[in-house]
Amino acid sequence: MCDWCMKHGAGKKWYMNAKNYSDQLAKDLNLEDYLTEQWMNFETVFIRKIMGLSSIGLGYKLKMPIIGRVIRWVVERMIHKEETKKRNPMRADGHFGQVIPLEDGKIILSELAAEPIIENYCMCRWMQRGKKEAVCINFGILSEIIEKLPRFIPKNRVVRIDREEAMQRLEEHNKKGYIASVWFQPVPYICAICSCESPECGGLRLRNNFDLNVVYKAEYIIQLDQDKCEGCKACVSMCQFSAIRYIPSIDRVIIDYDKCFGCGICRHACKNDALRLIPREEYPGFDGKY
Amino acid sequence: MSKTKIRIDYSKCGENGKVDPRDCHKCLEVCDPCVFLMHEALGYKEEDLYNPQHWRITPVWPSVCTRCFYCVKACPEKAIKISW
Ligand code: SF4
Ligand code: SF4
Ligand code: SF4
Ligand code: SF4
Ligand code: SF4
Repeated sequence: MCDWCMKHGAGKKWYMNAKNYSDQLAKDLNLEDYLTEQWMNFETVFIRKIMGLSSIGLGYKLKMPIIGRVIRWVVERMIHKEETKKRNPMRADGHFGQVIPLEDGKIILSELAAEPIIENYCMCRWMQRGKKEAVCINFGILSEIIEKLPRFIPKNRVVRIDREEAMQRLEEHNKKGYIASVWFQPVPYICAICSCESPECGGLRLRNNFDLNVVYKAEYIIQLDQDKCEGCKACVSMCQFSAIRYIPSIDRVIIDYDKCFGCGICRHACKNDALRLIPREEYPGFDGKY
Repeated sequence: MSKTKIRIDYSKCGENGKVDPRDCHKCLEVCDPCVFLMHEALGYKEEDLYNPQHWRITPVWPSVCTRCFYCVKACPEKAIKISW
């Protein structure tokens, strides 16, 4: 379990704690105005200036001597900010998440997520790829806020879905190759399960390109049964993190465990049941590496 | 590697240009590393705050640009310039 589980999990994984989904928590944190402000302006989060600096050209800024280190420290603090009163919705303070396998996503959707549940257009794919695809599942007060924003609402389709449909949709996205992730927004309130792609996803962008901890790796990691693998390569194209490679001389795949986010997507491609997820802590070299 | 500079001519595309990026977004589609961001332009008094109408493109992640020039070729307005 990660630091966030210790702080917000009440003995479980942080996203398995029902309290973090409750309307009461949203009320206590006064999140209705906060999230409205944030979602009205979400596409501008990377271009707004924070203390004189925006994220434009962040890769170059982070490489500057000394200043780069200061920026990294400021951004990390912002992402994980817990002091409610000091948070700024325009900077997405306290908004970070973790990759989850389909199974955990289904538990969240069947038991924990607050209603109403909606499925709306993914913002990242829209603002970075110009694609509108309804794959983001939101809960509770955030659903009611997003419903008022026309650009996120699919036309000619039911936006509100029940728990069963939500689980079905998540499974469809997962099998298509989209990575499930669950989000604090803002910490410790949880109101979304996303189905992401990289590099479109803003969170995965910051993590993969700039090593900022906006998205944590899952509580799990993949395990390959080398004897079962027949080298069909089907799993290779499923992995968004380039963690699987086919090696012709041994006619099987190898896993780069360092790159594995534990999303479990590759499993959908394997007909030989050679890939399974195990808890990260069972893998000595990768315990605690989120 | 030297810094890549990507410029958009906003007189051709954007909140005051001929093209609304929400209708075109060809540059977003062809850019493998997703260098561009389509967003509402800052500093406008939007009539309907829930449904902003002024949008533009910003090359937000130039450090991951591969200089493939696909965006330059794809842009119908020739609004994108890349140099380093
Ligand atoms: S986090 Fe993922 S699913 Fe959610 S908006 Fe971004 S890319 Fe889309
Ligand atoms: S190897 Fe890891 S990161 Fe890649 S698809 Fe499988 S579980 Fe996900
Ligand atoms: S899909 Fe399964 S059998 Fe095929 S290469 Fe991957 S692990 Fe091996
Ligand atoms: S040159 Fe290629 S990588 Fe660079 S912004 Fe244009 S399309 Fe993207
Ligand atoms: S391709 Fe050119 S005209 Fe089209 S959105 Fe991009 S910059 Fe604007």
